Amino acid sequence: MTPTGTDLLLPDETTPGEVIDELRARLSLREGETSERDRRFYDTCDGLVRAAGLTFVHESSRAALVALDGGQEQASMAAPEPPERVTAAELEPGALREALKAIVGVRALLPVARVHSTRHAFGVLDPGEKTVVRLALEEPVAVASPNRRIALAPRIRVTAVRGYDKELARVHATLVADLGLTVAGRSELDEAILASGGTPGGVSAKVDVALAKDERSDVAVASILKRLAEVMEANLPGTIADTDPEFLHDYRVAVRRSRAVMRELKRVFPPEQLARFRVELRWLQQLTGPARDLDVYVLDFDELRSGLEEPARSDLEPLLRVLRDRRAVAHREMVWALRSERAAELSAQWPAFLRGLVTLPVEDRPDAVRPIGELAGERIAKVYRRMVKMGSAIDDSSPAESLHELRKQGKELRYLLELFGLALHPGDVVKPLVRSLKALQDTLGRHQDREVQTATLRSFSDDVATLPGGPAALMAMGILIEHLGEDERAARAEFAERFAAFAAPDQRRLVRKTFGA
Amino acid sequence: MSRVLATYNIKGGVGKTSAAVNLAYLAARGGASTLLWDLDQQGASTYLFRVRPKVRGGVRKLVRRKSDVERLIKGTDYERLDLLPADFSYRHMDLALDAAKHSTDRLARVLEPLRGEYDNTFLDCPPSISLVSENVFEAADALLVPIIPATLSSRTFEQLEELVRGGPQVLAFFSMVEVRKSLHREVMARLRAAHVTMLGAAIPSADEVERMGVERAVVAEIAPGSRGALAYEALWWDVRRRLAAAQRSIPS
Repeated sequence: MTPTGTDLLLPDETTPGEVIDELRARLSLREGETSERDRRFYDTCDGLVRAAGLTFVHESSRAALVALDGGQEQASMAAPEPPERVTAAELEPGALREALKAIVGVRALLPVARVHSTRHAFGVLDPGEKTVVRLALEEPVAVASPNRRIALAPRIRVTAVRGYDKELARVHATLVADLGLTVAGRSELDEAILASGGTPGGVSAKVDVALAKDERSDVAVASILKRLAEVMEANLPGTIADTDPEFLHDYRVAVRRSRAVMRELKRVFPPEQLARFRVELRWLQQLTGPARDLDVYVLDFDELRSGLEEPARSDLEPLLRVLRDRRAVAHREMVWALRSERAAELSAQWPAFLRGLVTLPVEDRPDAVRPIGELAGERIAKVYRRMVKMGSAIDDSSPAESLHELRKQGKELRYLLELFGLALHPGDVVKPLVRSLKALQDTLGRHQDREVQTATLRSFSDDVATLPGGPAALMAMGILIEHLGEDERAARAEFAERFAAFAAPDQRRLVRKTFGA
Repeated sequence: MSRVLATYNIKGGVGKTSAAVNLAYLAARGGASTLLWDLDQQGASTYLFRVRPKVRGGVRKLVRRKSDVERLIKGTDYERLDLLPADFSYRHMDLALDAAKHSTDRLARVLEPLRGEYDNTFLDCPPSISLVSENVFEAADALLVPIIPATLSSRTFEQLEELVRGGPQVLAFFSMVEVRKSLHREVMARLRAAHVTMLGAAIPSADEVERMGVERAVVAEIAPGSRGALAYEALWWDVRRRLAAAQRSIPS
């Protein structure tokens, strides 16, 4: 059992010295060390480390993953200088890298706070002079920047010594009832993040918008799209700075979801403006596409390569170079476009339009005032039916194109279910539907990805050929293309089974019953 | 990483408890969560850590795993260092083990639920050859054996190696060394030449080591930087080095 700590705050207008004097008068204390600490804390922008109950901290030439409650260290490594950015992939192989990878995947950790503190340690002794509770007076200062230091409230951390629960309760009661200390509502780290202008827990890309079934559709749609616009905005700086690939991914998902909403619920918008914003958002989608495709390629490279035997595996190195070069170019072009005036105008006008949507006349947008429960249900049922029809027509002789078209509809349905279905309809119907849809989409996605990857690989062959080791790399790419082809065929063979589960009679009946005719 | 280290010798009064307590302290100070199980009915390490020598339910329940071992553990004055205390009933540990099924791996089973929690578990063993020591050999990854450099110590060492053959790694070190005695110097040189497993670090017979019982604290706290304190640090470093080397030589 990890000894957990409780942080207590001092009563107003009481100095730490006064509290210590009071403590000495009431408890038998052994003075421990006084230490100065300078800690830098890191997390992903969406707070994945904190959500796992941990924090990543750099202190005196060491970086470590530490439990938030008791300070128990999970893994650590030597790090002479505090890093500017941390990714699991760039760490030395070892326990810290593995632990971090399991929590944050490809996400990068950035500094969230720096805390300079003085810590006076004490042991509370029993009559046998045995330490039964540990106390530490912390006097923290958040260092927001070299010239901006914010003193945080001093706190006393009470840490249990295992097997001395009664003594702990007694000391806690003395501190709270007799000395007037109060349990801190926020951790020292969260206080420091707030003081430095950040958000404890980070900013999530989730779209948790509460909806009511009888709400006006334009109100519901606007609130979902506003949240998606926020997600785009929040992920833009990380996309431009290339902090980690998830920023661009989350940005693109938000754009794609927004476009799906506009397409599926078009009659809540005035047609002219809708047409204009659809063009603009499609532009965003397209300009970010090549960079994302190449991100995926670089991220998947190791897995792709692992399918090969030596020496083909090492022969593939020139391909990675071409991928990285192309990725860098694609990223530069994307950044240039995202910084353009057109993009800036869009990021100002789109949320403004959404804010004003409900005040616009409703004559040319007949669905605006319909209840969202009814409208979203109708759309979900319609897209589902369309998919069943399209999928049923697919057999072994159908062209690949028909599977791609089905996948597009699948994305549409998935967004409708995730954005509206889960909020408005019973979870026991929506969740299984989402699950069978996901399984189908995975198969369809693999089928299409392999086809695209094969084509992309072929398009790289000229560049790869000119590099040292090019011919060997081309041979290895040949094997890779063969493997991709096999996987594409395997995905195609899986399709029938996955589709059957998705379009099963029971499921169809349930969709009809839940979402209307 | 979770390992069990036992300080063991057939003979008593050779510095087992001092080694267990000081090494466990150094392990915890180095950042590793550490448990010390005082298996000796005399409860010397329990006394040193100022913990009451009491195990609720006694040894019989403990070895049959009828007690919740996690609730029997006590924190010490040192962070990350916990103690499973001694109990007077440990004098009947042999009988309790004998009466239970799987009588030679009972202690290993008691430790099982704690494996994920502690990086190091030290067993401070009573001096004997008994069912208790058989259990210790079963549970431990290595035996840390203090040896006083005297005429018969070579024989003690050989007996021990014979006893645990195929069991845990044996890491012996000289204890209570008086460098001024020529006999000590001679025996040490002879044994080190004959046994490569003998560790380089040696614990001196020093005032600060003896004062542990009076001050009820570890040597590093009584006399930081003293000969005794440095000797334990050297010993801990040596032990870890040997364990790491043994780890590497195991074919994966």
